[in-house]
Amino acid sequence: MDIQMNSIEVKDLTKQFGSFTAVDKVSFTVKQGEIFGFLGANGAGKSTTIRMLIGILEPTSGDALVGGYSIMKQPDKVKTQIGYMSQKFSLYNDLTVEENIRFFAGVYGLTGKKYEERKKWVLKVANLEGKEKLLTNSLPGGIKQRLALGTAVIHEPKIVFLDEPTSGVDPVSRRNFWDLINDLSAGGTTVLVTTHYLDEAEFCNDIILINAGRLIAQGNAKALKTNYIKNTILEIESDRVVDSMGILEKEDWVGETSIFGNSIHIILNDNAKGEADVRDILTTKNSINVHRVDKIVPTLEDVFIHLLEKDKTNVS
Amino acid sequence: MKTIYEFIIKELLQFKRDKKMRAVVFMAPILQLILLGYAANMDVDIVHTAIFDQDKTATSREFIKNFEESGYFAIDYYASSYEDATELIDMGKTIVVIVIPKDFEKNLNRRETVSVQTLFEGSDGNTSSIALGYIQGITNRFSKKIVTETRDKYGVNLALSGSLTPEVRVWYNPEMKTRNYMVPGIMGVILMITTLSLMSMAVVREREIGTLEQLIVTPIKSYQLILGKLIPFTMIGFIVLVIVMLIMTQWFGIVVRGNPLFLLFTALLFVLSNLGLGLFISTVSKTQQQAMMASVFAVMMPMIYLSGFAFPIENMPKVVQYITHLLPLKYFITILRGIVLKGIGFSALWVETLILFGMGAGILIISSLRFSKKVE
Amino acid sequence: MFHRIYAIAKKEFRQLKRDTRMLFIVFFFPVVLLAIFGYAINFDVKHIKVAVYDQDKSDYTREYLNGLVSSEYFDIVTHIDSDDEIKRLLDEKIVQAVIVFPNDLSRRLNNNEEVKVQYLVDGVDGNTANVIVNYVNAATYSYSLKLTKEYLAVKGKEIYVPINLEPRFWFNPELESTKFLIPGLMGMILIITAVISVSLSIVREKERGTIEQINVSPLSSLELIIGKTAPYIMISLINAAIVLLAGYLLFGIVIKGDIFLLLFSTLIFLFAALGLGIFISSIADSQQVAFQAANVTSLLPSLILSGFIFPIESMPAVIQWVTNITPAKFYIVSLRAILLRGVGISAFWEQLIYLMIFGVIFISLAALVDRKAKAA
Repeated sequence: MDIQMNSIEVKDLTKQFGSFTAVDKVSFTVKQGEIFGFLGANGAGKSTTIRMLIGILEPTSGDALVGGYSIMKQPDKVKTQIGYMSQKFSLYNDLTVEENIRFFAGVYGLTGKKYEERKKWVLKVANLEGKEKLLTNSLPGGIKQRLALGTAVIHEPKIVFLDEPTSGVDPVSRRNFWDLINDLSAGGTTVLVTTHYLDEAEFCNDIILINAGRLIAQGNAKALKTNYIKNTILEIESDRVVDSMGILEKEDWVGETSIFGNSIHIILNDNAKGEADVRDILTTKNSINVHRVDKIVPTLEDVFIHLLEKDKTNVS
Repeated sequence: MKTIYEFIIKELLQFKRDKKMRAVVFMAPILQLILLGYAANMDVDIVHTAIFDQDKTATSREFIKNFEESGYFAIDYYASSYEDATELIDMGKTIVVIVIPKDFEKNLNRRETVSVQTLFEGSDGNTSSIALGYIQGITNRFSKKIVTETRDKYGVNLALSGSLTPEVRVWYNPEMKTRNYMVPGIMGVILMITTLSLMSMAVVREREIGTLEQLIVTPIKSYQLILGKLIPFTMIGFIVLVIVMLIMTQWFGIVVRGNPLFLLFTALLFVLSNLGLGLFISTVSKTQQQAMMASVFAVMMPMIYLSGFAFPIENMPKVVQYITHLLPLKYFITILRGIVLKGIGFSALWVETLILFGMGAGILIISSLRFSKKVE
Repeated sequence: MFHRIYAIAKKEFRQLKRDTRMLFIVFFFPVVLLAIFGYAINFDVKHIKVAVYDQDKSDYTREYLNGLVSSEYFDIVTHIDSDDEIKRLLDEKIVQAVIVFPNDLSRRLNNNEEVKVQYLVDGVDGNTANVIVNYVNAATYSYSLKLTKEYLAVKGKEIYVPINLEPRFWFNPELESTKFLIPGLMGMILIITAVISVSLSIVREKERGTIEQINVSPLSSLELIIGKTAPYIMISLINAAIVLLAGYLLFGIVIKGDIFLLLFSTLIFLFAALGLGIFISSIADSQQVAFQAANVTSLLPSLILSGFIFPIESMPAVIQWVTNITPAKFYIVSLRAILLRGVGISAFWEQLIYLMIFGVIFISLAALVDRKAKAA
């Protein structure tokens, strides 16, 4: 297997609904076996892009190769290469665990020994061994979601698309689910996952960010943090967080500000400024007690807030 | 093949698991056919009547007795005044008031013609005209008797002339009972409603739940999906069909004069055409609500009203008659009544059978083509 | 309380407004159906297709047939030369009746003998056959009477008819069944819109789980139900108005009675129908089941058990009791009283009371089921 091969190559993919452009000339590539994070706010065009890639929505223009097949010319071939799981956990609630597995196996044409083997695997990953006869409806959300992923990859596809798979699931289940995604990836499966949890994005090998249908950033988490924000970021802890933020915002050398818990992050417009300037303004001029000012590496959240703000000004 | 097989198993399992659904699908046709079969009866058996007898003589009482003894008339009221009589009609208490004039007996004895008024609550034109027929018959017989009596009494020599009398033979259904006509019709309607409403939900339901999207992503072919839906529902439809046929023949004792196997075969064609229609609705609808409203208003109501099940197609205006050609139920009811009541077979019904087959196949093909594996 | 109901109703309205297909079905179809069905549904048997097998071919038979054709009741479709063809003509529904004149008809009439004219009538549709038989009898007797009169006139004598019937038909002098049937059609369209749409809209929230969100909000279930049904009451009322207007424009049905009384009765009827819809939504947990249940309780019963086409008096006692499950029964009686007879509330107030009781019973049952479900 050629590790360097690209699993997905997207070229100028565009989708218009009437006069509204949901996806605007998006291009990116996903390498074999990697976990590819697809980020953006609700309505940014993530689901529309995925639905084009899995062949249930026809692109207005552009094309993509999925597993080596064109989604425009060979949509049927594409479907043999992929698995798909959406936020709705599309299982039949009125069927039992085993019946759901059997049905999807049947749809993918798995029979005999192969079927038995894969069924065992799905039951294992969903932690449902010995519970085959339970109605799917009665399963807790986290288990249901693992079962849904299990059945979505029952035919061992080369590429899996996960559309906000963890929305509405508790943190422990989310963590377990990501372990499962890592296992899949380790086994050579390419995983394309959309999410709006930024902590999940840290697990991805590669990330793209889209806003209003356009791709605005690309790279791995580390690259995003270093490439997109050149300015210094300071984390400040003080007595009066909200007041401090209001004061700092008025300064020319302070760019975006945001509150993280009981601290403030500020992005500097002028990298020459630093801790002394902050203390000067807050403590000396406004007599607010400052506990701590640190220069920090930006989090993904800092990067995205920065990028989205920048994009907003670009658009308007 | 394996894919379609698994699909069928899945559909049957879902149907089996939904107890309420199962109960409605199988019990409703039984209950409906039995209840409605008894109810669907246009025989005017009892005419609610009031008499306003202004004469009150032996002759008027004898005249009234003729009505009582005919078995068709229930004399519920004796009106004491004309206002009383009109009040009864206004309130809808009686269908007809027979008004016997004052000198009824005296005038008859004088060999004069007397006028008997009959006032009808005419809003139900059908019942009124049939009741009028009964009244005419009774009056004619009474008149004839008076003529004979007068002749015997006075020895009047009434010249004999040639006369024509109708000799009516009613074929297929000599007592002109409406039940034998209605029960097969109701059977057709119930079969239509059950299969159509089941099928019209089949695809759109998965669309609403989200599982359809999951299916579309799999390499399953459109025709596999369609067959996977169609075959289990045909099986369920066939069970319903056998149930309603048994009720018709065993419960209502309606004898199938023609070939029962041919009947079963045409019924299956009919079920298929309904499933095709249901599938079509299901694939074009976005929500279950739309599918249901569309199947009721666009398909079921026209089928019920225009198929000739209750309202004779011959009575409809020409334009509407053309519309009826589009309805599978019309052909099925013609076939059904032909086989059951007339005992005719393929040689007389081949046109209807072929049309039914064509419609079933056509609708199915259109729905499969219409169902593309894309969602918008 | 009021603003919460308003909030729910507004949300429901918004959802409806956005679903243009649904609006189209709900508003467009009832009118179209009324227009088509209004023309189509009637029991007025006219233009009966007959075949003539004339073995006499005399002036008598020609005159007789001229009399038949000049009325609009009979159309001679074909003449036949042997009785072999009779079976085929009737079997394949090419004609509804066959007239057979014997070959000695004129000879016997000239000899002052009685002659039988044979009629073979297709009895499959008992009701139509009954009407045909009435017409045939009347036509034959009147021709016979004419012959007798002519004969007696030659002899210088007069015919004696003891009783002359004077039928008067009130409310519907032409005995058109359309006028009688349209109120029934109105009732049926309204009940279907009300029962199906209400039960679906509530069950849909159940299915999607949004009802739990509402359950935890301070809304009481009463507020929820009023809020959810209000838009459908309005839709139904608008529908009723459209249907009435169409009835007037297309079929000349004038509201003889009080229009406010009509509105009032319609509201009470809708209350009962919605009660049924709410009850269905309380027992059904999927739209599919709700749809089937709504069909079973409102589609066919409102047609067959309501007295719309089949007179309730002709039904067996048990079935007469069962007819109470359809509120359409009570509404149709009221509607006919207001529209056709133009009488006041005294003629049908019981019906309105029944409707109220009906609504209250079903809403209480729904509340009971609901409470049980929550307790479980």
